[in-house]
Order: sequence, then C-alpha cells, then structure tokens
Amino acid sequence: MANLGEQLLNALTLAGLLFLVSAGLSLVFGILRVVNFAHGVFYMLGAYLGYTTVMLTGWFWPALVIVPPVVGVLGALLESSTLRFIYRRPPIYQLLLTFGLALILEEALRILYGPTAKGIDPPAYLQGAFALGTLLYPRYRLFVIGLGLVVAVAVWLFLRKTRAGLVIRAVAQNSEMADCLGADVARVRTLVFGAACALAGLGGVAAAPMTTAYLGMGIGVIVDAFVVVVIGGLGSIGGSIAGSLIVGAAQTWGAFYLPETAMVIMYAVMGAILIFRPWGLFGEEE
Amino acid sequence: MRRRDFLQVAVAGGVGASLGVPAFLRKTWAQGGPIKIGMPAALSGSNAQYGIQAKRAAELFSKDIKGKGILGRPVEFIYEDTGGDPATAVRKAQKLVEKDGVKFLTGVVLSSEALAVSAKCPEWKVIFMSTINGAGALTAKAWHRYFFRVNTSGPMGARAISLYLAEGPMKRFFALGSDYAWGRDSVASFTTQITAAKKEVVGTDYPPVGTKDFASYIAKIRQSKADGVYLALPGQDATIYLKQAHQFGLNREVKPIMEILELENMKAVGDAMVGAIGSSRYPFTVDTPKNRDFVKRFHDLHGVYPDMFDGETYEGLEWLGQVIQKAGTDDVEKVIEAWEDSSYEGLEGPFFMRKCDHQAVQLGFAVEAVKDPKYPHPIPKILATYPGEKVTPKCRTEDFS
Repeated sequence: MANLGEQLLNALTLAGLLFLVSAGLSLVFGILRVVNFAHGVFYMLGAYLGYTTVMLTGWFWPALVIVPPVVGVLGALLESSTLRFIYRRPPIYQLLLTFGLALILEEALRILYGPTAKGIDPPAYLQGAFALGTLLYPRYRLFVIGLGLVVAVAVWLFLRKTRAGLVIRAVAQNSEMADCLGADVARVRTLVFGAACALAGLGGVAAAPMTTAYLGMGIGVIVDAFVVVVIGGLGSIGGSIAGSLIVGAAQTWGAFYLPETAMVIMYAVMGAILIFRPWGLFGEEE
Repeated sequence: MRRRDFLQVAVAGGVGASLGVPAFLRKTWAQGGPIKIGMPAALSGSNAQYGIQAKRAAELFSKDIKGKGILGRPVEFIYEDTGGDPATAVRKAQKLVEKDGVKFLTGVVLSSEALAVSAKCPEWKVIFMSTINGAGALTAKAWHRYFFRVNTSGPMGARAISLYLAEGPMKRFFALGSDYAWGRDSVASFTTQITAAKKEVVGTDYPPVGTKDFASYIAKIRQSKADGVYLALPGQDATIYLKQAHQFGLNREVKPIMEILELENMKAVGDAMVGAIGSSRYPFTVDTPKNRDFVKRFHDLHGVYPDMFDGETYEGLEWLGQVIQKAGTDDVEKVIEAWEDSSYEGLEGPFFMRKCDHQAVQLGFAVEAVKDPKYPHPIPKILATYPGEKVTPKCRTEDFS
C-alpha cells in the first residue's frame, strides 16, 4: 500500500512541475498562435536566477517570489522587441526565431554561470521526510505538489472569473473580433507571453532543489511539455492539468513497473490519445 | 590583368615577402613551424564541462612550456567545438588535419565521438591521444597503432572499485546504468567482477539519459534492500540522482558507489554527496610532490581545483611532449615508435605505455567523497590504491585474468 501511495505522490510531483511549464506553453499558443521553443529556456533561467537569489540572500523564499516576475518581464521585453513583428509571417519564421532565442539564452547562461550544475538546498523545514502513515516522503516534494495545485486553481479562476481573463479568452477565440470590440490585442499578447514566462520561471525555481540548475534542463523539459500540450489540447488550461497528470503518471509508473519501456511509454500514450482525439483531450476541433 | 599575370605577380610577391622575413622566423619555418595539436572537443552542449576541462589543461600546459616549446618549437593548440556529436567531431577533426595540418588529435570527450574519429586516423596518418574516453573497445576491438590511451578506461575504473568492494563488508548491490553504451558496459563489467567476488547483484535498471526524476528508481532500490548501489550515470544525471536520493533519505540506507567520482558532481551536490565512494581516474588529492605543485599551478591559473580530466589531459600532453622530444621530430611514425614501451612519471605515479594495445598502465584508485574545511566543496579521499598490473585488462581485451 505504502508503495502504491509513493508511486502516486511521485507522479503528482512530476505533474506539478510539468504543469508550471506546459500551462504557459499552451497559453502562448492559444493567444499568440506561436509554438514557443524558447519556453524551456525560461524555465532554466528561473532555476539559475533562483540559485543566484539564494546565494545573495541565503533564503529560498525570496527566490520563489522575486524570480518569476523578473523572468516574466524579460519574456515580455523579448516578445515586444522580436516576436511582435512576425506574427503575420508564416509559422516557420516564428519557429526559427524562438529556436534562435533558446540557443542564445542557453549559451548566455553557460558564459555567465559556467558549465557546472548549480545546486540549491530546500528551506530548512522542507528538508527531510514527512511520515504519512507508514510512508516516509520528502517534504519538499509535497510542497511541489501543493504549489502545482495552487497555481492550477489560481490560473483557472483568473481565466474564468476575472475581466482580464475574459479578454484573454476572447483574443484566443478570435483576435480580430476582440480587436474590433476594443481589446488592445498587442498588449494582451505581450502580457500573456510575459505571464507564461513567469510561470515557467516559477517552475524552474521550484525544480532547482530537486534537479539542480543545469544547462540543457530547458531542452529536456520542453519535450515533455509539448507532449503534455498535445495530449491536453493546445490552448486549454484544463488540458494542461490533465496532460501533466497523464505524462507524470506514464513516466513514473512506466519507470517503476515497465522499466524497459520508460522511454517510449509517454509517446505510446500520446499516440493512443491522438488516434481517438487528434485535437487533444480538451482541445477544440478546428 | 589575365589570370596568368596575376599568378606570376602573386608568386613573385610571395617569394619577396618570405625573403623579407627575419631570419629567426625563417628558421622555425624550415623546421616546420609550430607543433600543432588539434582539440575537437565538446565545448557546448550537455557534455561541455568535460571539453572545458581538456581546454583548461591545455592552457596550463601552454603556460608551463612557454619560451621552451617542444624541440625548441612553439606549441599551438587549435580548438574546435563538436557539441558532443560524433559526425561533427569527425568533420572538425578532418578540418584540423587537412586545413590546419595537425599531426596530433586529443581532447575528444565522448566515447562515441572517439570511436568515430579514431577510425579515420590510420587513413589520415595522425595520432589520436585519448585522455578522457572510457569505452573498452578503443583499446580492444577498435584498436589500431595510431591510437594511444593515456587515461584510465571504463573497465579499469570498474575493476578498481570492484577490487575494493571485494574486500569490504557489503554483500548485496543494485546496479543503475544510463541507457547507452557506457552505462550498460559498465554495469555488465561490474556485475561480472562482483559476482566473481562471491557477492550478489540484486537488481539492475537502465534509466534513459537525461532522466530528471529518479523517484521511481529510488523506490525500487530501497525495496531491493541492497547495501550499495553502483551508479554509471553521466555527470548531470549522477548529480540529480544523488540530490534526490539524499532527499528520500536513501543515501543513508544504500551507499552510492560511483563508476567515476568527479569534482563536478561534488560541487553541484555538495554535502549530500559526502560518504559516496567510487573509482577515480585522477583524484587531485594524491600526495606526490609533482601533483602538489600541479594543483597549485592549476589553481593559480584557473581559480578552481583540477577535476579528473584536467589532470589526465595535462599528463597526456606532458607525456606527448617528452616523447616528441625523445624522437627528435614530430614525424608521426617516429613518435609512435618512441612512445611504445616508454615510461613517464605522471602526477599520481608512474605510467607505462604498453606496445600491444597502447593502453597506459597506471595506478587505480578507490576514493570517498569527504568534507574538508579547507575546500569549498567535498573532495576525494583515497581509500585504496591498486598497482597498474592489477587494474589493466589483458592486451587488446576488456577482460581481467
């Protein structure tokens, strides 16, 4: 029983991290219609800036609060200085641009931080394990599960219950009509892009105590995040939540019960879902 | 101007220019100019830390021989970034050989790159000096006379740690190797040797390269009730594993045993790594006068302590320099002859380049990561040292008698 519980918690931890990355990726696609290859790099940037903040202040919490807005502002600046000018071009331009940005940011981090991975310790009272009945589980992982849950609820409420969320959904559905009705589409796009980057940055800070901050972590996570978004449906937050849970479960349970298939099982699940719902679980048929 | 006229002018100009060059420079040209060493190393991508180690060693070596050179000729290093990709490595190596005219290639990082580049060296007639590559095949199935391995190979590392464990109290082991050639080979080699020592391997798993959550594997290792877990994971994966195993409290129950115990991991993992044991190809804490002096010079230049491949690459370059000096020329065939069956006093002890497969026979080390207030990160403490004959495989094989 303890074993099943542990596997469930492992899946939820991974799902929590994946959600923080994939939610932004999905939103950016929904609003900007851009497949953002640079998204993973903002996750990596969050982890490295988190490391710097912890080194400067000696605390973990400031990193969790300060870093996401910083990453968000940087993302918004990049959107308004580069991406904005090529929305009307064919998608290949956007692909090249975001891929190029990813390479530039990654090499910049290498020059600034050097090639060695940077480790952060979780805050003192999240170190060690927590007893859940007979099961001992690391406290920090429970925190990551909680964080993913809180952010998921917050993003969902924001999009469904606020006026700003309404405007965002309107732009996602039909940007020209929203423009005619007085929404500042360019501004919405910049803000959404920034917010998506901030979420990825938050994911990076949260991941750093588990995985350390390392070069290549952005590329690693973006592949999984794309699978999440494809399973859940592009542009849907509910889809990101469902997709994260499915990918988290496939990866952790696959590695435990069917280790030889650890690599393929996630893609097998994705393939199976695409056969029945090519637009993803929560996506809309176009 | 017609083409022929242009050529005539150009040739005349060239001759004139060379006559105008100061005599001392013309002298070096007559001898073939600087001795060029090509380094097609992974300087970007996820294995860049190893390419950077090779480069750091070359930088210190350049500084150390400044003014003297080799055979009175300056030494020039030419770096190319392979990104860790075998096809790119071959292309960059070919450029170094054909365009830059290097006769010596070194600094190649991944075994997959080394196998691809080394295969071309008999055709190019250049020496491939490995200072990093672990794959046993390089001095066995894939060996040729242009290939030299100065470093401890993967099977040699597995041998050293197996010898150490054979004498120890641990009985049950779990083996975790990355799902590619090096990880699988190491696990196989470890399993053979540890079973021969009447110990038991109770479980084996091969996580994919780049795994970022080891929780499932950690749960399995705990269930197996092993005394120790043998890890053949590349740099970053090992860092993540150790960090997470520490958070699960697993390191206290199941001792981590690393195929290679590197400073890179110790810096990133920090105190959570203390207590891990493993083999080391070059522990910078070896107490020889030569090494103490090297560590100081290295730290003065780079501001960090030398990791395994810093030390091994430096040794390779110094040895190569001595061999060229002994041969009295940088002619490749003559250098090969001079190198075979030659000895060298390395940083950690004596080296011998055996003729049969060009594997350098050298000491093997079992080390433990310990805390020392003098250093900003854990350091390798030497637990046991094994003589070269005990840790070097039979000629042109990966087996030990």
